[in-house]
Amino acid sequence: MFKYLAKLFSPRARLGPEALQSAFREHYRNFRALLTANNNALELMSAAEEMLHSGKPFGMAFVGGDLTALTVNVYKMVRSLIALSDGRYKELEDRFKVIADRIEMIRSRQPEVSGSAFILTMDEIDCRAVDQVGAKMANLGEMRNRLGLRVPEGFAVTVTAARHFMEASHISDEINRRLQTLDVEDLKALYKVSADIENLIRNAPLPADLDRLIREHADALARGASGPATVSLRSSAWGEDSRPGSFAGQYRTRLGVAIADIPETYKDIVAGKYRSQAIVYRQQRGYRHQDVLMCVGCLVMVDAVTSGVCFSRPPDDPRSPWVVIHAAPGLGNHIVDGSSAYDLLRVSREPPRQVVQVETATGLRDDACLSLEHARELAEVSLRIEEHFGSPQDIEWAVDRNGRLVILQARPSGASAAPGTDRESAAATELPLLSGGAVASRGVAAGEVCKVGSADDVLRFPRNAVLVVETPYPEWAVLINRAVAVVSESGQMATHLATVAREFGVPALFDLPGAMSRLENGQMVTVDATGRRVYEGRIDALLAAAPHRPNLMEGSPIHALLKEALTHITPLHLTEPDSPHFKPASCRSLHDITRFCHEKALAEMLKLGRRYGSRDKSAKQLYVVGMPSQWWVVNLEDGFRDGADLSGHFIRIEDICSEPMRAIWQGMTALPWQGPPPVSLRGFGSIVAQSAMNPQLDPAVRSSMSGRNYFLVSRNYCNLSVRLGYHFALAEASFSELLSESYVNFSFQGGAADERRRRRRVRLLADILGEMGFRVDLKGDSLSARIEKRPVAYLRERLMVLGYLLIHTRQMDMVMHDDARVDQFVAKLHADIRMIRDNMSADSGVDNETTSQHPAG
Amino acid sequence: MKQPRNILLVDDEEEFLETTSLRLRRRSFEVRTATRWSEAMPEVEAGWPHVVVLDVMLPDVDGMECLRRIKDLRRHLPVVMLTGHASLQASLWGLEHGASDYCLKPIELDELIEKIIIAYQDAGGSS
Repeated sequence: MFKYLAKLFSPRARLGPEALQSAFREHYRNFRALLTANNNALELMSAAEEMLHSGKPFGMAFVGGDLTALTVNVYKMVRSLIALSDGRYKELEDRFKVIADRIEMIRSRQPEVSGSAFILTMDEIDCRAVDQVGAKMANLGEMRNRLGLRVPEGFAVTVTAARHFMEASHISDEINRRLQTLDVEDLKALYKVSADIENLIRNAPLPADLDRLIREHADALARGASGPATVSLRSSAWGEDSRPGSFAGQYRTRLGVAIADIPETYKDIVAGKYRSQAIVYRQQRGYRHQDVLMCVGCLVMVDAVTSGVCFSRPPDDPRSPWVVIHAAPGLGNHIVDGSSAYDLLRVSREPPRQVVQVETATGLRDDACLSLEHARELAEVSLRIEEHFGSPQDIEWAVDRNGRLVILQARPSGASAAPGTDRESAAATELPLLSGGAVASRGVAAGEVCKVGSADDVLRFPRNAVLVVETPYPEWAVLINRAVAVVSESGQMATHLATVAREFGVPALFDLPGAMSRLENGQMVTVDATGRRVYEGRIDALLAAAPHRPNLMEGSPIHALLKEALTHITPLHLTEPDSPHFKPASCRSLHDITRFCHEKALAEMLKLGRRYGSRDKSAKQLYVVGMPSQWWVVNLEDGFRDGADLSGHFIRIEDICSEPMRAIWQGMTALPWQGPPPVSLRGFGSIVAQSAMNPQLDPAVRSSMSGRNYFLVSRNYCNLSVRLGYHFALAEASFSELLSESYVNFSFQGGAADERRRRRRVRLLADILGEMGFRVDLKGDSLSARIEKRPVAYLRERLMVLGYLLIHTRQMDMVMHDDARVDQFVAKLHADIRMIRDNMSADSGVDNETTSQHPAG
Repeated sequence: MKQPRNILLVDDEEEFLETTSLRLRRRSFEVRTATRWSEAMPEVEAGWPHVVVLDVMLPDVDGMECLRRIKDLRRHLPVVMLTGHASLQASLWGLEHGASDYCLKPIELDELIEKIIIAYQDAGGSS
């Protein structure tokens, strides 16, 4: 292709007009493709930037999709430019590949797994093994081996083993494919994808070496146990039980597993990585699925008399002087699942550790299932753990048949996302519908009640409703990004759902008997979790005081990844086309490449237009009001009217049928410039006005314009560049039935004035364009504005205003030092724009205005 | 501008084929489908499609190879690549080897139709 074109345009080639026309068409096609790709690329760049700063959750599906589409579009630009320039910018392709590779490396970076062991026993584990066994098992080993605390015997199946399992079964690609196309907002699809993936994992065979190792260690556990042993299998994933995310209750735990069933159950726990609530949780908190590697802890079941949760400090009150203990008879996840009644004990943090309060499930102090001695011992131990790990802890514990305290798990308790302002509960005049209960997560929110008791209810759950449940099961966490508040008849702050609600800043009020019967579906209520009340209707006074939801993405792995990738994408280093640094080798970001391609493509088209024009007369000087103007028009394809007289040097405005150009021109000539005299007429703005009254054009203007002010046009496209002195403006528009090819771009830079005045001018322009629906980006004294995917009539109106602004804001600089005149001038701008818009909507025919104002000469 | 009419969808996901072809037909396109290269090949050989929409992962021949074979048979037949997972290498490779565009699932129908039309027009609109 390059050779073909090169031959075509070599001086010796003697081609007829038809061959030239077709070569020109080919160039024009590349040019258009480049512009479309440029638009897409800019749009994708700003989408990524917006997402990064929005605080909204986004996943790798967004990041991967956006970055791939962006890179593809930039690559298209590079290829189009190379074709357009007959291969001249070939080295740009290499620059592009270097940058694209850097971005791809960041995007596809895999978490590094250290260590090769598939299994580590409890005596081999401490905090240093966290990358191998996850925080839950590492903390447990640390407490056993460094603090000398009693923890269950057992072993951990490491992340290396999990990776070995996934690789050997070849299901990772299939899993990724399903996740890529999953819309997390679609709960029904989420449940299905989650179930499919879990089944893929459960049905995959364990590699023989791993299977054998697990069985050997399981048998060793059975031999070491006194009676018939069963075990618990717990997830200990990367990121779980640590800051900033707890992943509380998102994965899976199996209790009472027979020794022989351990290998099968192991797969079940690994599959738990893809439980629906875990997928939602990761998506909301900005974790990549591949960053979460699953280690599984296999621990001998404790024969427990009593068990529960202990907070070294309650998470809703960081200044509390008490250790808070929740206790229930037997063993189980009942407390963290929110499904059982419990005793509450408070023990003072300062020695002597006094048990200051006991509330039992039955109300009788003598029924307490935990002795005061055990309570004191537990408080003591929890404070040691807190001191060792350096932050308040949320500890799961049990007391066995022999009266020994066993620690099952410890993790940072995590502060509530809503700052615990100890404000008095606002004295609402209304009587609450419900009051009392336990604060699970502070805050206030209002919404319609939606009661949930089954998976079907979950699917029907509307956005921004108040989740009302009987029991706060961790499964309901799948709704945590849709619910504005949670109300539960049972449970307390130790439940996993409460932990997750605190992390997400969702107010939650638990232990409120009668909530299910007293609240009606669809009823608007205000939940004041801090004040432990539920009111009918919206109570604005309460809501006004409520803190905002936290930004959960900031600092998350995906947020960090996108931020890093964007350092190779958005910074613009190539700003001055005239600078010697404006070359492929200087491109350091994708933005640089788009800028380079855009600028050079334009130059190539002009060159071609001139070369072509000299033979075929497609480049014409515009002829208005009976005299030549300083505007040149290059016909790209079908921008001149059929039958127009093309024999001479000039083209008349009425022979131009480019819709976007006519719109701009209409705006430029809608009103003569009457700005505050006296000013120099050596300005772009004065040209048109002046041309109407004075055939003697300023020679200084003319010389600076040599080929610089031109319209490139086709019927549905116009590219207008204006350069005068230090002042540069570019307006580009495409009209199309295809919305992705329908847009207006405008950029504006410089101007002969001091820095402050230039900034004021672009800010004024930015305001006006913003009001017109442009997306405006201001950097220093340069402005870029875009509108895309809008119907043609909408764009035509914007173009007219742009045309008007091009002519009239130039004069801004002259008055910018005088505030009173600035106001006057701005008022006139607005009045003129209103008039242009009104005229336009009154006159939908539009087209004849220009010709009637400037009768053909 | 000429509009493409005959669309060949090549994808191993039956569900995707079913819904997409139904919706394209509702917009007055003629649609044929193939779940593998061996089914797609005769259509391409016969010159039936105006545009091919091609998934990157196919059971018999991978999408990249498939693209190469289509281009061997009909150099000017526009191919829009479509995939469930974002792979940069694959997409750049595709463009280098003559794919008109490369898009990610899920894609909105309107967007897909635009890509089809643009691919067709860029290829010169010859049928």
